[in-house]
Amino acid sequence: MTTRAEFLGRVGEEMRKTPGLFPAETAERPARPGEAAEAVRRQMAERWPQALERFIREFERVAGIFHRVRGMAEVPGVIRAIAHERGARELVTWAPGVLGVDLRESLGADGLTVTPAPAGADEAARLRHREEAARAGIGVTGADLALAETGTLILLSGAGRPRSTSLLPETHVAVFGRPAMVESLEQVGILLEELHVDPARSMSGAVITFITGPSRTADIELTLTRGVHGPKYVHAIFVDE
Amino acid sequence: MSDAELRVPFPQRAGAALKDAFLQEALTIATTKFIDLRKEAFAGFPAGEALRDQARRIKEATLQRLDAHLGRLADNVERLGGHVHWASTGAEAREIVLRLCRERGVRTVVKSKSMATEEIDLNEALEGAGVTPIETDLGEYIIQLAGEKPSHIIAPAIHKTKGQVAELFSKALDGRFAADPEVLTAAARKELRQKFLDADMGITGANFAVAETGTVVLVTNEGNGRMVTSLPRVHVAVMGMEKVIPSMTDLMVFLAILARSATGQQLSSYTTLVRGPRQPGELEGPEEFHLILLDSGRIRQIAGPLREALYCLRCGACLNVCPVYRQIGGHAYGHTYPGPIGILLTAMLRGTESVKELAHASTLCGACKDVCPVRIDIPRMLIELREHVDQEKVAPWAERAMFRAARRIMSSPALFRMGARVGRLLQAPWVRGGRVRRLPLFLGRWTATRDLPPVAQRTFSERWKDLAGGPPGDGRRGRRAP
Repeated sequence: MTTRAEFLGRVGEEMRKTPGLFPAETAERPARPGEAAEAVRRQMAERWPQALERFIREFERVAGIFHRVRGMAEVPGVIRAIAHERGARELVTWAPGVLGVDLRESLGADGLTVTPAPAGADEAARLRHREEAARAGIGVTGADLALAETGTLILLSGAGRPRSTSLLPETHVAVFGRPAMVESLEQVGILLEELHVDPARSMSGAVITFITGPSRTADIELTLTRGVHGPKYVHAIFVDE
Repeated sequence: MSDAELRVPFPQRAGAALKDAFLQEALTIATTKFIDLRKEAFAGFPAGEALRDQARRIKEATLQRLDAHLGRLADNVERLGGHVHWASTGAEAREIVLRLCRERGVRTVVKSKSMATEEIDLNEALEGAGVTPIETDLGEYIIQLAGEKPSHIIAPAIHKTKGQVAELFSKALDGRFAADPEVLTAAARKELRQKFLDADMGITGANFAVAETGTVVLVTNEGNGRMVTSLPRVHVAVMGMEKVIPSMTDLMVFLAILARSATGQQLSSYTTLVRGPRQPGELEGPEEFHLILLDSGRIRQIAGPLREALYCLRCGACLNVCPVYRQIGGHAYGHTYPGPIGILLTAMLRGTESVKELAHASTLCGACKDVCPVRIDIPRMLIELREHVDQEKVAPWAERAMFRAARRIMSSPALFRMGARVGRLLQAPWVRGGRVRRLPLFLGRWTATRDLPPVAQRTFSERWKDLAGGPPGDGRRGRRAP
């Protein structure tokens, strides 16, 4: 078996034989990611309306369905309508504390079964929630970032934020507000640099997912087909307030 | 492609592809569509050209400090609780995966599309060890059912009709399926959903790995990459060692151009950034994460003639524009990686001998270089590869003798002028209707597939001499001052 030392030794040996093809440098990273990220947030505190406009345009271009509500209190109503439209009876959601709303009471009365992510992370809870998510017609998550230039939702996995909520159900609904809005991939890069300064504190999970529209394939005769493994429908609910 | 199939010489393989009317149509439709989508994506993206330049610089800069970046990547993956394996050869990489399967009692493996695992023939090895590998990318699933290999880097089943897919599904799955992509996709979704939930191990490739954060990045559209990295209890990523990039800031540059180059999307549906196994407090995700870093001929190209091919992002853009690929498709190339970049990668991974024919399967038109997101100079390396094939005496002696003679003649003005005169005499019996259509002896192999323009009755320099009253180059408008 090749060891790390052997492998890297060979790499180093070859590197010493050549100065390379031309002088080159990698992308310049923010020297102080915290300050750079703060600057992005300040910019966006002013520019979010334009970013939102752009987000709506791009999100709809990739077949996303956009909703806007005045406050959290209106969110259950939108989700109820989506469930009705899709004929969905069961929903899974991120933990209410993470999501900012508990849908159990408001939607339970309509005969919908809402299962939030469990607090514990033991094997039994894992297997149970996996079944619940696989059965559910709708998964409701937050969005940590909403990227305007591409219409992309960016989600961090972690405690109370299962990966499967935005993956297994046929319909994914993401709820977010102004603080999530960013304009460009460049800004996302700065925020990700900040996030990784001390990831043990800033992230409780292992995965960051960029979602740009529904799951899609064109593998059969290049015919665009949605919902191959992941969700067929992706909704964004923007909450003013 | 099996060794037996590879024993069929390339011209015959290509010839068979040219006679396949369906393949011809499918290739034209697919490659044309990809070209248009890419063009549109970059037309509406003025920053694109500068980002391509920057991406190229990042790749080169990363290679200049590659050992440090790889070391850092490994440190970070291990810090997160993942395991890093170093594989010098494809065989070693296979052995690592098989050992993991044995030790953990793995019976079924779900895979998301990965050219690296195609390259090391992992599926055959798994099957041989009694482990069932299931390809979950729709295109890969189709060709796995058909017992074939991918014909395009990003659209592996473009050579199949929906009718053929319906037939395959009706045979392999429960039920009869209409030749309708919507129906067939739904059938695959249903069939594979259970496989994701039941599998013991998920195997992926990696589009990038970020050294500073220990993150493996997967760019996908279907969501199978997310399934494979979230549901089974073990995740194994197999990655060519050149895919490492330094930072998240660098990653954004690549994300901005990769999907645009591949499918014309601004971003693919899913970009998944995976940092090791499930973290404490996290409900889902694998218990174990393994990263296999693969050499397999890559390391010796760091200082080798194919260094630039180590920049490749595997977007497939160069395939779509290549006049040779557009005619013969992926299978005729006979190796894992088809198209212009595929010839270089095949030479890298399997040695020059394996591309002695393929090195010539290019018109050197340069379209590949124009569309490459990191501007890899593929034509330059193809020319060098031809030279190498020639110097290593891999090419047949007659070909080498011809090119040596041509070089002598073309590098001496006197010989060149004489050559034109001799050529005019010798060609006389073979010129028909202004073309040389048939040549004698082994030269006939050339004219069997194309005509040759004859040496003109009066060459340009001869005519110029009369026009200008002297040799060219000393009169601005072709006339000497009186």
